[in-house]
Amino acid sequence: MKLISIAAMAFTISFAAPVTFADQTHQNEASTAAQTMVTAKVNGMVCDFCARAVTKVFGKEEAVQNVHVDLDRGEIHVTLKAGAELSDDRVGELVKKSGYDLVSVERETA
Amino acid sequence: MKRIQHASLALAIGGAISIPWAEARPVSYPGGWTVMQQNNGDFSSIHAHWSPTARDSIGLYSERNWQSDWHFTGVQYNRLVERWNTPNSQANLYLKAGAGQADPFGDDASTEAAGFIGLGADWETRRWFVSYEGRAYDLGFTQDARQSARIGVAPYIGDYGDLHTWLMLEVENQPEAETPTVVTPLVRFFYDVQLLEIGYTPETEELLLNWIVRF
Repeated sequence: MKLISIAAMAFTISFAAPVTFADQTHQNEASTAAQTMVTAKVNGMVCDFCARAVTKVFGKEEAVQNVHVDLDRGEIHVTLKAGAELSDDRVGELVKKSGYDLVSVERETA
Repeated sequence: MKRIQHASLALAIGGAISIPWAEARPVSYPGGWTVMQQNNGDFSSIHAHWSPTARDSIGLYSERNWQSDWHFTGVQYNRLVERWNTPNSQANLYLKAGAGQADPFGDDASTEAAGFIGLGADWETRRWFVSYEGRAYDLGFTQDARQSARIGVAPYIGDYGDLHTWLMLEVENQPEAETPTVVTPLVRFFYDVQLLEIGYTPETEELLLNWIVRF
């Protein structure tokens, strides 16, 4: 019985270990890919209810992971998915679709 | 003819003054849906629209006017004519038009082709809000018009995602109404994609209840 238990454990470990390493390797690759934060300064963003359009419009974009609106600063903070890109022109188009005017774009890559 | 002149005057004043109320946001983001309902004792209405672009929306509009005794149902088109964005404010000018059918209240009421045109404008900062809307109706069996203006102040400045509160004063003029001009203090709340307005008109002892939901 004990032999069977040891054999079963060995069998389990022999399959489990490679899977664990594979996951870890994948995570390491993802974490090394560049992730960009885009800050769009806009004019006209004074109303929370209307600024919901920002979340909707940017949220539909494939490259976008997260959107944050800062009404105090008049800024839209967009976190891109690892390795994804979003051009300044595209940011301008999305801001326009949301109902505002783009003033400037800044990028920070982590 | 006199009524049409009054309506034209109302629209002209609207253009000169500038700004809106619950229906002052008739255009959403591309692909966005909006449903809004207004009830204030003088009329009840519901408008559901879809925005193909950031400047246009089209939808259905139905209104029961309790003061002038008519019911309109039809298609409404809204156009954002101009928007002025500054670092601390936004102003908008909207054109609205509707076409459909209307009937007066009563058992022997006949349905007539009907339509309306309207002008809405607004200006707001995070603290202050001003709006105006004017509408003129041709209902076949009669013509009608109304206009309203608002001023509002936010008692506190909330962050994105907070519950926002506005204290507002609305003046509405409907020449055919029993009490043509009424003043309504109201409170506006909005949170996420929901907007709710609750007010009371002392002159007519009527409740105001408006809401908007965006999808």
